[in-house]
Amino acid sequence: MAKWGMVIDLDKCTGCQACTTACSMENNRLPGENWQDVLFYHEGTYPNVKLMWFPRPCMHCENPSCVSVCPTKATYKDPHGGFVLMDWNRCIGCKYCQVACPYGVRFYVDEKAPVQPDIRTVFPSADGRVWDPPYRGPQDDPGRGIGIQPHGVVSKCTFCYHRVSKAPAGIADLDEDIPALKEYVPACVRTCAPKARFFGDLDNPESTVNKLIADKSGVRLKDETGNKPQVYYLSGGAAASVPSLRSMTPSDPA
Amino acid sequence: MEIIKTLLSRRRFLQASGTAGAVGAAALGSGGVLTALKPVRAQAASPPTYHATKITKSICHQCPARCGIDVYTTDGRVHAIYGSSEHPISNGKLCPKGPLGTYILYDPDRFKGPMKRTNPQKGRDIDPGFVPISWEEALDTVAGRLNTLRDKGESHRFALCFGRGWGASCAGLLGPFGKLYGSQNVPIGHSSMCSDGSMLSKAATDGNASYSAYDYRNANMLLMFGVGFLEAFRPYNNNMQVWGYIRGERVPKTRITAVDVHLNTTLAGADRALLIKPGTDGALALAIAHVILTEGLWERPFVGDFKDGVNRFKTGQHVDPGTFEEKWVKGLIEWWNIELKDRTPEWAAEITTLYERDILATAREFGSTRPAIALFERGVHAHSNGILNGMAVHSLNALVGSLFAKGGLMYQMGPSYGAMPVKEDDFMDDYAKSGPWKAQPRIDLQGHEDGYLIAKNMLQEVGPNSLAGKPYKLDTVMFYLTNPIWTAPDGRAWEDALKEVFVVDTSPFPGETAMFADLILPDHTYLERLQDAPTYPFQGWPMAQLRVPAIKPLYDTKYFGDTLIEIGKRIKGRTGEYYQALGDSENVIRHLAKGFETDPGDNGVDSFDSWKEKGVWYKKNYKWRQIGGAFFEWDGKGYNTPMTAEQVKKELFKTDSGRFEIRSGKLEHHADWIAAKTGRDKDKLMFPHWEEPQHPGGGDLYMVTPKAAMHAEGRGANLPVAIANFQPVLGGRGTVYIEINPKTARERGIADGDLVRLKSHLGSIEGHCRFFEGCRPDTVVFPMENGHWAMGRWAKGRSPGHCGEITVNQSDRVTGQCSYYTTKVSIERA
Amino acid sequence: MNTVKTKQTGILSVALIGFLVSAGLVLDNLAQYGHAALNTNNLGISWGFPIVVYDYFLLTSTGLAMLASLAIVFGGETFRPVIKRAVWLALAGLAGGVAVLFLELGHPLRALWAIPFSFAFSSPLYWKVMCVSFYVLSLLILMARMLKSHWTIAELRINGIVTLVLALGVTSIAGVVYGSQSFRPFWASGDIPIAFIFESLLGGLAFIFFFTYLAYAFNPAALPTGVKRLFTGPLPRLLALAIFVHLLFVLARMASGLYGNLEGLQVWHHVATSPLFYAEILLGLVLPLVLLMRPGTRNNPWVQMLASFLVMNALLVSRYEYILGGQLVPMFKGAWAPALLSYFPSPTEWLMLLIAIFLSNTFNALGELFLGLSSEGDPSARVEPEPLGAQWGEGGERLAS
Repeated sequence: MAKWGMVIDLDKCTGCQACTTACSMENNRLPGENWQDVLFYHEGTYPNVKLMWFPRPCMHCENPSCVSVCPTKATYKDPHGGFVLMDWNRCIGCKYCQVACPYGVRFYVDEKAPVQPDIRTVFPSADGRVWDPPYRGPQDDPGRGIGIQPHGVVSKCTFCYHRVSKAPAGIADLDEDIPALKEYVPACVRTCAPKARFFGDLDNPESTVNKLIADKSGVRLKDETGNKPQVYYLSGGAAASVPSLRSMTPSDPA
Repeated sequence: MEIIKTLLSRRRFLQASGTAGAVGAAALGSGGVLTALKPVRAQAASPPTYHATKITKSICHQCPARCGIDVYTTDGRVHAIYGSSEHPISNGKLCPKGPLGTYILYDPDRFKGPMKRTNPQKGRDIDPGFVPISWEEALDTVAGRLNTLRDKGESHRFALCFGRGWGASCAGLLGPFGKLYGSQNVPIGHSSMCSDGSMLSKAATDGNASYSAYDYRNANMLLMFGVGFLEAFRPYNNNMQVWGYIRGERVPKTRITAVDVHLNTTLAGADRALLIKPGTDGALALAIAHVILTEGLWERPFVGDFKDGVNRFKTGQHVDPGTFEEKWVKGLIEWWNIELKDRTPEWAAEITTLYERDILATAREFGSTRPAIALFERGVHAHSNGILNGMAVHSLNALVGSLFAKGGLMYQMGPSYGAMPVKEDDFMDDYAKSGPWKAQPRIDLQGHEDGYLIAKNMLQEVGPNSLAGKPYKLDTVMFYLTNPIWTAPDGRAWEDALKEVFVVDTSPFPGETAMFADLILPDHTYLERLQDAPTYPFQGWPMAQLRVPAIKPLYDTKYFGDTLIEIGKRIKGRTGEYYQALGDSENVIRHLAKGFETDPGDNGVDSFDSWKEKGVWYKKNYKWRQIGGAFFEWDGKGYNTPMTAEQVKKELFKTDSGRFEIRSGKLEHHADWIAAKTGRDKDKLMFPHWEEPQHPGGGDLYMVTPKAAMHAEGRGANLPVAIANFQPVLGGRGTVYIEINPKTARERGIADGDLVRLKSHLGSIEGHCRFFEGCRPDTVVFPMENGHWAMGRWAKGRSPGHCGEITVNQSDRVTGQCSYYTTKVSIERA
Repeated sequence: MNTVKTKQTGILSVALIGFLVSAGLVLDNLAQYGHAALNTNNLGISWGFPIVVYDYFLLTSTGLAMLASLAIVFGGETFRPVIKRAVWLALAGLAGGVAVLFLELGHPLRALWAIPFSFAFSSPLYWKVMCVSFYVLSLLILMARMLKSHWTIAELRINGIVTLVLALGVTSIAGVVYGSQSFRPFWASGDIPIAFIFESLLGGLAFIFFFTYLAYAFNPAALPTGVKRLFTGPLPRLLALAIFVHLLFVLARMASGLYGNLEGLQVWHHVATSPLFYAEILLGLVLPLVLLMRPGTRNNPWVQMLASFLVMNALLVSRYEYILGGQLVPMFKGAWAPALLSYFPSPTEWLMLLIAIFLSNTFNALGELFLGLSSEGDPSARVEPEPLGAQWGEGGERLAS
């Protein structure tokens, strides 16, 4: 089975946040609770100031610390594809996974709305979900954390499981520029105008994502936590590089 | 005990939306226990399959770019929007605004049908008391007023102002309406509040009153002046596709220098960021031109050369015009002698506050890299000296020969539209031809000596002029896709003006202008419309998109084109006949599509039906190209047919000389008027030259109010997802901040995050400030987005206040460009 | 005795009314706003004041259980007067803590089945819940066996050992929950479970002092001789020692935190400059330590009441600063999240503290009234009456006269 991974080329990213909004709409996110986010930072003194940004989805780690701490196995590593998913029927809302995620990509559904007035009160749900926007997508799979959340649970990026899982078996890369594949590509990858994002099978040595990681010396965020993200970042690409770990070990296949 | 009882009541529990129901109720042992234990039922009976989903090919509406979109509809509900893979602008991609279109469709604050005002009092925060009426009543009311005006010979007192016009089936209908009905004020476009300064700068130099089309993908250097390439410059989506290519894939990588007044994503992503003093871009461009000439870097095949090949451009030294042979430019040596010879980088460093070394490096890189494009928009020309700045920057394109070149810039071709069903000229009655309205000037004094003789439109003057009764007072005004009370500088003047005018608004949304309306004739939102839209300037070759409704209108609304046609049918006499013959907007679009039958698009679109199916017609070859100083026409295989100078003049350089006029003939024609109104030197005013900009407002800090990536033309303020992500430098997760340099703030006793008050002599607004070193010490920056007092529940009252409240209504007298970024304000702790 | 009974009834009434009012208000708020009534957020403060309260009561409970079981296993008859109270108080305190936890959890009832049947062996919380379940069982058995009128410490030995092991287990796993979060250096440290054990023990000691005095309505003269002997003998010294050890742990973590450069440790600069932290250290720990170290004040019942009360508060502050401190540096939230998040409990969260306090006190008062918690120290019961020890301070004498 595939081990899906994402490659984000930081040399191409324009910081436009289309990934964030496409994800928000595809996955019916509450405004401001961004499964996929772009983080902005700045440093320096006028007139030489550095403004930088960093696109950040869930890393869908090989060895996710959020999964190991969950007391009910509500969050789990899907063996078919390596997705880190949520089972909303098992989640008790203890938020330990949120605490245990070094990337800050998990969200408790019942927090105060970041944007007021609370849109959940504008489109209330009749069947126990948090809200019911008229534009919600047709997909609904609470056992995998897909669709509109019920109350009292944690939600997270699914790597667009509802799209990716339907991809033809054995495919190396999901390239949105190939018309036959675009419906299987995660929303953030599909919409990315500068094509800074690539999505493919990390277990397939011939995939484009593996080629990019090799050619441009892909790195993983906070590798020292041992979580082994399945999201890689590219920048520069010089072979002389800062290693992310004191000793590099091969990744586990999914 | 009462509390518990209350809690247990089902009613109360349901009321509490947004409740962690399971928690509250589970602990109580009410029905919630079961909810908590029961697995959540799947909402859809079976896993979703995309074949149950309809995909409509339409186009976006959130900026002028017109990206092709795939609208996903399942069970009558629109739930996703992605870029169309087959569309040349979107190529399957979208900007951050694109997917938010569903919010616009399902906006809970939309108008749901035609309404009339019952509260005769008008004012900010006064409830209009709108009550629903029938379309029949609504249309009859408008037509009745219009007929009465015409009977009185006062048809000019009806104005129709529009903002984002899209195509022949909406904005295109307005011109004929004005002609037939008899009002020079139908229509008045918003171009002066958009970017006319750019169009007029180009008209003055190369004769094309238009925005440019660009061939970025083949350029090796881009020099951007105040364009917000990665924030707001259209077509934003395609710009980013270009960026990914030229910065991440292309060999050689395209070099980028970006000039702006605060650090934004474009500057951050560029190789060189120049934080320039507001209004001084022209000085930088002049210094770059100076270096290009003194260092002999100009493109000789296009510009021309000294007859003996010896470069006589030496700083401070006069050049004998006779020694130089100009090719496609006019007035270069005169420009050098009258202005450029002293415009050294050292001089420009003083004016712009940039470092001399950066100016020199930029000039050398731009002058020695081909192809290179200098592009500019409002940052450059929205100042009192706008035309001069714009011409100076655009002249750089001439110096490096990038006009109509591969990797250069050009102008947009129109689509092969068929003829309208009927010609308005066949329906002109005597009143239309020679009624008393003919003797009147336009309300905005566009084209008038007392106003703006050369400008294209002066929408920002309509309100103030009507209020002052100069030249006259309007009786009725109708608005299409514009909200001047909010978007015009000093909107208070508009509020007062619209109190005494019968106002018809066609927006589907409760904007500020709508709150002053007497009649609301709501348009469909864009996902419900059938509407044509030829491309905005893109890559030059012709393209026409079609906005195709994804679902039936949710409410009792009407497409503006049809509203206008229906009003037209109710106008007495021949006008009514014309609109009867026109039928409806779909008939118009069907006739437009007839043009494709004889000129099918590259994608096979050759009829109304195929256009509707694919959403776009285009032909990917631009007709002309300049190669090494010679012009050629496309012959079907390549640019092989040489063009004569006459052809170039007719098609490309539409100036008196048929060349790129650094000495502008267009300005020269009006030299007396310009000199009288601006005080400029009559010998110099036709050349790009340096002039100090005027900064009204009475403050000590420049107020710069850019548009950001999330600004969805009039709707961004009420989109919760856009509000939440209004980054990067100006935004802040639901709170938009006023950017201020820490040094500037500390000098005024202001701390990071303080509530501050910005004041000009017009008034004051408040908001929270944030320290940002990427903001110039002489500038405060915040986006034009917030501070609505209407517009919907999310928009209303969102901090900081609206910049328009303290922006002085000052325009470039030549271009008519509204100078949004030129007011100076003071700041203090609130 | 009757006056004490009356006063206990009064305490019960106050606690019960307090519980009902605070629970009513909290449930009302939760029904209206859901968990948005709490000041937690998705920027990084996942665990707020309710978790502080829950952990505080849980660790106090295990501290009391440790005290009781240590007394059973090692202490002998001297400690007998407080064993039963400690066991009951451990249960009462836990009830308060768990009540708050249930209000904080998204799906508390689901947790009851989902955790035990998950077999999530990799999760510290799984082990914590399993351990707490057996711990409660063990305490209940212990309590049941002490309800007999003539029980001996010897017959509870095995029970005591099991309880001790489970209490240590719960406490150290509670420490692992935080200590294992290696990317949160404010929390992460291998010795956190040990620190938790000592902190918990300190809590147990402070609570037993305070609630024993409460049982006699803060009237030192009413204290039975067995209790007096214990309170003038080893127990205040143990309390002083426990304060000292806890202080060591806190100050040692602070020192390495202030000197450490690792991102996340900057919270220490924030914590170590906050007035709350000074209050915790100086008023809550150093002052009681000094008072208990001075022979002249150590055995004064009012000093003991004050010291235990201060320590109880200091531990709540300590728990608050530890749990929140580890979350104050947001994880990848960008420039617009502040460098350090800010948090302050909402009214609902404060009310949840009251729920825990009042519910625990309700149970405790019930115990005092119906389970004969005071009988163990009663001279008329099993303990041999003894004259007042020389160490019984002047204050005591004054009050006794």
